[in-house]
Amino acid sequence: MTGKRRLKEHTRFLLMALPGALFIFVFLLLPILSIIVFSFWRTEVYELYADWNLDNYRVLLTEPTYMIFLWRSFTTAVVVAFTCLVFGWPIAYFIARYGGRYRLLMILALAAPFFTGIILRVSALQGIMGPVGAFNMVLMTFGMQPIEIIMFSRVATGIGLVYLYMPFMVTAIYLSLLNFDFELLEVAKINGARPWRAFIEITWPLNWMGTAIGLILVFVPSMAASVTPIFLGGPNGASFGSVLGKQFGETGTWAFGSAMGVILFAVSSLVIYLVWLSVDLQRSGFTGKEA
Amino acid sequence: MSQKAKKLTRRRLLKATAATAGAAIAAPYIRNAHAATPTVRMLMWEDYIIQETVTEFEEKYKARIAPQFFDGNSEAFNKMKAGGTADFDLVMADGFWPRLYLRDGLIQPIKASLVPNLSTAFKDFQPGAYDLLHDKPGGTLIGVMNCWGSYGITMNLDHIAEEDRTSLNVMFSEKYRGHLSTGARFEENIAMAGILAATQMGTVKDQRPDGQPFNPYKLTDAELARAKELLIKQKGLLVTRYQDYDALQRLMRPGLVWASPEFSEIYRRLTRARWAGEVDFEVAHMLQPKEGGLGWIDSWQLSAGTTNSEIIELSHHWMNHYVSRESMKRVAGIGVAPCFDVTDMLPEQEVKLLMLDRTAELRGLHMFDQPSSPEKWERVWSEVEAA
Repeated sequence: MTGKRRLKEHTRFLLMALPGALFIFVFLLLPILSIIVFSFWRTEVYELYADWNLDNYRVLLTEPTYMIFLWRSFTTAVVVAFTCLVFGWPIAYFIARYGGRYRLLMILALAAPFFTGIILRVSALQGIMGPVGAFNMVLMTFGMQPIEIIMFSRVATGIGLVYLYMPFMVTAIYLSLLNFDFELLEVAKINGARPWRAFIEITWPLNWMGTAIGLILVFVPSMAASVTPIFLGGPNGASFGSVLGKQFGETGTWAFGSAMGVILFAVSSLVIYLVWLSVDLQRSGFTGKEA
Repeated sequence: MSQKAKKLTRRRLLKATAATAGAAIAAPYIRNAHAATPTVRMLMWEDYIIQETVTEFEEKYKARIAPQFFDGNSEAFNKMKAGGTADFDLVMADGFWPRLYLRDGLIQPIKASLVPNLSTAFKDFQPGAYDLLHDKPGGTLIGVMNCWGSYGITMNLDHIAEEDRTSLNVMFSEKYRGHLSTGARFEENIAMAGILAATQMGTVKDQRPDGQPFNPYKLTDAELARAKELLIKQKGLLVTRYQDYDALQRLMRPGLVWASPEFSEIYRRLTRARWAGEVDFEVAHMLQPKEGGLGWIDSWQLSAGTTNSEIIELSHHWMNHYVSRESMKRVAGIGVAPCFDVTDMLPEQEVKLLMLDRTAELRGLHMFDQPSSPEKWERVWSEVEAA
């Protein structure tokens, strides 16, 4: 390859990468940077003052109130991510292995709820799980007591989030399984491995990359969720995300809200990093090297 | 056309795609000067967007209405502070908020001469009786009144005992555990609890640091602490905090929620349903609890960022059009009480339902206001939510 040609390739690469890089810089990095800057400022009666201080972080990290919101959101996101994992794996496996020519159709069907907005979907859930929702009305029609735990509670929020983000988990695992050679399971079987052993030793580790991506795709939005807890969570359901949203709306405490945003970003990044550490790129076949 | 010109090459395809994409992106920004329609952009409560009124205005003035919606005063105020004056020509607010907008230079004076329909307002809302729509009593007009009401308590009379129907205590009573609901707005929740707290502490008539009478939006630290205690106790009694009227209606209509503070819209919907034989319980609305209540007059304000004289004039026309008696009758139809006298256009039953015969009671209510310290109130509300 000549030097001239190499230069041309570099130029071409730069030209192709520039719009994307510019987009990421303007719409992702700049807002994050501004949020970080604001988090060290101060708000007073809806005015933002460039008065550098650590007070927002002191309040956030020392007052139990906000730690409670963070803990609530963290535990909810963990439970939601693992629930999606438990229910999502069999669905993705079934579609990938037995879906045949309907695989794509089935995966697209999972995206059907996304044809409407989140508020509509959450309101529909309220209509199903609420005190006078379809589920409890049926129970009451047969003389039974309504199930209170699914009415305006953290459990209701969890169910809502599982419903909202399950497609992310299924799609991530499904895409991983598409590249998985199911013949390996036959080989394991011939060598005397029971199905569960083959799953634990072969299917699971070789698809851990997709599973990890699914976990992240569910955990991160669940951790930041605000609409679902507001609609389904009831008086005790306020989450870190819903309280954060309030700072930029009703209370106008933007500096404090920015610090909350930084904390949320840090916690999510840490979780992503921990999940990333668990991924063995070579074993997953994602070395980045050409075959 | 030559054969060469017809040939579809990759270069040609890319050029055509780029040109089409460019045209598609640019199209919304390319305007025919003759066809350009002046647009009045407004930040308002969604309930007030009545299509018939909008169409009438658009046809009469050959203009376009572009509304955006908000839920609470502080939300709209924040939007205007964060550059909203350049995005909106009109903004709605209520209670003390128009003066706060003026104080921060977010709105500009209104020419009363361009809003002649102001003369049909009830006398209880005219200058002298109600001065919050002027920069000071007898001063410059800064807002055009629209509708009024209280943040009273709607009650299911089958369940709420007679002795509880006049007091804020109903919202904090153990008797009604699991059958109460409140709105999600933090200011009104704290202010309402603040009224009860100050009453219980006997501090309502105390001298205030600013020399003004008691205002539930300017509570002392002790009153705020007591209000927080009340709100934490109340949490255990609530089914939920409703997000919108429909959600509250879904809870009250089947009889699950028996009492809830609201802007009397659900009271009116349920009463109409009762008249139609669709619900079998009586409903009442506590306009002014004995401890005191919250009230509002909402109004239209002209954004300080609007400098185009044509849009300024159109904005005045919109306000005048909106507060015309015909338009106000439509507003009454959606269940909100107009500030304008349309009593002769409505059946007596509707006049009573809209409380148009009780306009004088507004004077006894505490008007919606800005919390004395949004930061302190945010902390209190977060503590309530986390408790």
